[in-house]
Amino acid sequence: MTTLWPRLEPLLPRVSKPARYIGCEDGMQQPTVGSHLTSWLLAYPDTYEIGLPNQGLQILYELLNERPDASAERTYAPWIDLEAEMRAVGLPLFSVDTHRAAGEFDVIAFNLSAELVYTNVLNCIDLAGLDVRAARRNDDDPLIGAGGHCAYNPEPLADFVDFFVIGDGEEVVSEITEAVGAWKRTGKRPGTRATILRDLSGIEGVYVPAMYDVAYDGPALAAVTPKHPDVPALVAKRTVADLAEWPYPRRQLVPVTEVVHDRLSVEVFRGCTRGCRFCQAGMITRPVRERPAAQVREMVRAGLERSGYDEVSLMSLSTADYSGIAELVRDTVAGGNITAGASDTDGASNTATADANRISVSLPSMRVDAFTVDVAAQVSRARRTGLTFAPEAGSWRLRQIINKLITEEDLYGAVRSAYSQGWHRMKLYFLTGLPSEMDPDTEAIAHLADACTRIGQEYTKRASVTVSLGGFVPKPHTPFQWFGQNPPAELARKVRLVRSALGRNRRVQLKWHDPAASTAEGIASRGDRRVGAVIEYVWRKGGTFQEWSERFDLGLWEEAMAACGLSLDWYVHRHRGEHEVLPWDHIGAGLHRDFLWHDWQDALAGHGLPDCRWTPCYDCGACTEYGIEHMVASPVAPNGGSQGTGQDLATGHLVPVELRPRQMAGAGAPSGDGA
Amino acid sequence: MRLRVRFSKIGKIRFIGHRDVARVIERAVRKVGLPVAYSQGFSPRMKLSFGLALPTGYESEAEFVDLPLVSGAVLDGNAAGPVIACRSGTHAPCENMAPSSAPSYCTIAEALSEALVVGMEVSAVTLTDGRGPSLQAAVHSCGWDFDIVGLDATAAAKAVAEFLAAGTVVTERVHKGETVSSNIRPSVEVLQVVGCSDRGAVLSAELSATPRVVRPSELVPALAPAHEMGIARRTHQWTSGAAGRAEPAVPAMCAQRNKEPISG
Repeated sequence: MTTLWPRLEPLLPRVSKPARYIGCEDGMQQPTVGSHLTSWLLAYPDTYEIGLPNQGLQILYELLNERPDASAERTYAPWIDLEAEMRAVGLPLFSVDTHRAAGEFDVIAFNLSAELVYTNVLNCIDLAGLDVRAARRNDDDPLIGAGGHCAYNPEPLADFVDFFVIGDGEEVVSEITEAVGAWKRTGKRPGTRATILRDLSGIEGVYVPAMYDVAYDGPALAAVTPKHPDVPALVAKRTVADLAEWPYPRRQLVPVTEVVHDRLSVEVFRGCTRGCRFCQAGMITRPVRERPAAQVREMVRAGLERSGYDEVSLMSLSTADYSGIAELVRDTVAGGNITAGASDTDGASNTATADANRISVSLPSMRVDAFTVDVAAQVSRARRTGLTFAPEAGSWRLRQIINKLITEEDLYGAVRSAYSQGWHRMKLYFLTGLPSEMDPDTEAIAHLADACTRIGQEYTKRASVTVSLGGFVPKPHTPFQWFGQNPPAELARKVRLVRSALGRNRRVQLKWHDPAASTAEGIASRGDRRVGAVIEYVWRKGGTFQEWSERFDLGLWEEAMAACGLSLDWYVHRHRGEHEVLPWDHIGAGLHRDFLWHDWQDALAGHGLPDCRWTPCYDCGACTEYGIEHMVASPVAPNGGSQGTGQDLATGHLVPVELRPRQMAGAGAPSGDGA
Repeated sequence: MRLRVRFSKIGKIRFIGHRDVARVIERAVRKVGLPVAYSQGFSPRMKLSFGLALPTGYESEAEFVDLPLVSGAVLDGNAAGPVIACRSGTHAPCENMAPSSAPSYCTIAEALSEALVVGMEVSAVTLTDGRGPSLQAAVHSCGWDFDIVGLDATAAAKAVAEFLAAGTVVTERVHKGETVSSNIRPSVEVLQVVGCSDRGAVLSAELSATPRVVRPSELVPALAPAHEMGIARRTHQWTSGAAGRAEPAVPAMCAQRNKEPISG
């Protein structure tokens, strides 16, 4: 077990951004290396600056290194310039912590945040010196694992990955560590790899593709069935019931070079029950589990003090829904002053630095109906962070269909709040190619954007809006999983429609996601096991970093589909029927299939669905199947009003939710009400 | 008033860029709670000003940054000198300036070193009135140690002698996408072989910042065209003082830690 640093170091002066490969982060663990430890290499299959901030990876990194029987290091996909240098001198993939070779680890576990990174997963396995095909790997080779949201349809990577983790990883990594540790102690003898794989398949939430037979009926998938009686027919996701028991990361990695989210991140809740029908994250992470406010405050305070950051992101799928969000933002912004004043004996210097010490708060995924003047004013007291609102669809009709029940008044209210508090530009995010979308719906995007800039002009001459337009890709485990994705030409036409509807409006800047990339994403999103050959083909032809527009090539994907005898229309553009076997039917996200189907039918009928956090349960399956409940601090929606549900939520106290006690004993203390 | 900080950049951390260094320093200042002044406006930023930028991949024992302090931050302390009011208490800039009655004082130099990342150490902190020229303007030349991979000391000495004897040494470099050639000889004030690392001969140079900043890597093609530079380390940044040349802050003013010679 030797470090590869002496071989890597001479290559670094020749590559771009060499700081990607040195580690050296504040918060980097010093993993002990030893044959008695199960060693994990946590891999993010994209560049360092995109992968480093990933919270899931950082949480597991800490949890594993806290275990006496495990160690964990990290790796990221080397950019093409370093990859060429590495291949030229035979240098394998390495960890950034101790620069050990990837092949020396017991487990290499990939985070799958997006489908277009799949070719990078293969490239990393290959750079580790391993066969990309799981069936051809040796008994004592590292086990290849994968988790993250894309693991909810594991089939496209089933031929390359030994095991997938479905759902929250906090608990299951320990169980995997113990199983792999036991196997390691027996010496990983020849012929025993099948045994450890079978053992892993017995762990709840772990899917081992090699333990399943796949049958086809012509182009259609017939069944995915377990090979052995002890292998589960349905692999159900793992869910941690109480976030209060997991105050991680405690020591967030602070990188020494610029990364995409270079700030402190504190997860305020997990799960979302807004019920937006296009949103996979909202469907698969149910129910809502809020972190106690006292613990959030302590994590923010300790995190800022330790890291030296002056900006914190309060993370969740919809942060404005957090109970007591306005107070939390106010206290967080003031945090710099509080800490500065707490132990200082000299008042004069405090006053002088007070403004500069303010903490900037960024609120990702801010719902427009919750961005009140109050919240805007709190956020704007520090440096104004970028502001993005996501109406998702241009017309009220279409927003009812996708169940994003934001009225125009909601949007204009939020926009007015922002402009009145000093912002002069904001970003509006829309999807196009949504089910039943017609040209007036698409053109309404331009009208909304134009109306927003008119409001802005009441406050500033510089008022402008950036419209960001993404092509809709249907995702597994959502009500839209049966919908046929728009072909790239249709998506491109809709982009042109918005552009011409905007005319010469110079206050609106239009940006759009490449429709061709949405098509490739669609192949992997709802693909079955046969798509693995397509991914391998694209990878072998050099198609890595497909998330990067300068590297993306739809022609390569089309060529691969043709070479594998697969139809793009069949996989991407075709509507699915109610009884079709879907490639992810043997993976359980907790949602009843008939709930999803009925919600899909309701969508087409234009019926909305309320947020079950504050209104009665409609039994989607996420709670009832697991015997868990929402865990929120207040039965009443923050900020009052309809909260984008189109309903009167004043009677929220009638809702059967698990309530957190208002006072928490202290951060990190397990909550007494969690069971 | 401002603090002038001298720090090092040695080891793996040599691969971070100039802007990265600025961010690392900013976070360290906030961790220590130093009352450094911010710019005004919508996006207040910490007012940092650095000496000559260090190329990415180079090491240094002589990086400098000026930290302007907010008014009222400097207190009289006692006879031994002033102290700075920080979040965690009042600290002397560095040891020999600390009040003798409190030898256990954590100095600002120590606190910053603790707050920085591995490979970056603060070796001197001085307090100035902030009236002189900026570091960028004041530094007129830099001292460097660098090694040349696979070149032995004898060959290096011969190459150095030929280099110094030449009136002009024209080299090519790529600048903004275009190849430009220039005479680097006038910028080379001192050049000598000082030893050997496990990679090859170690040279020491003093390169002036005028007419333009010449990097050690530009010397290597002129000295040994078939060889590559190993690692370069900045050892000094020189300014003009009252009594000849001087450095902005000298490590002798603080206890030194982790001084290691350049070698592989």
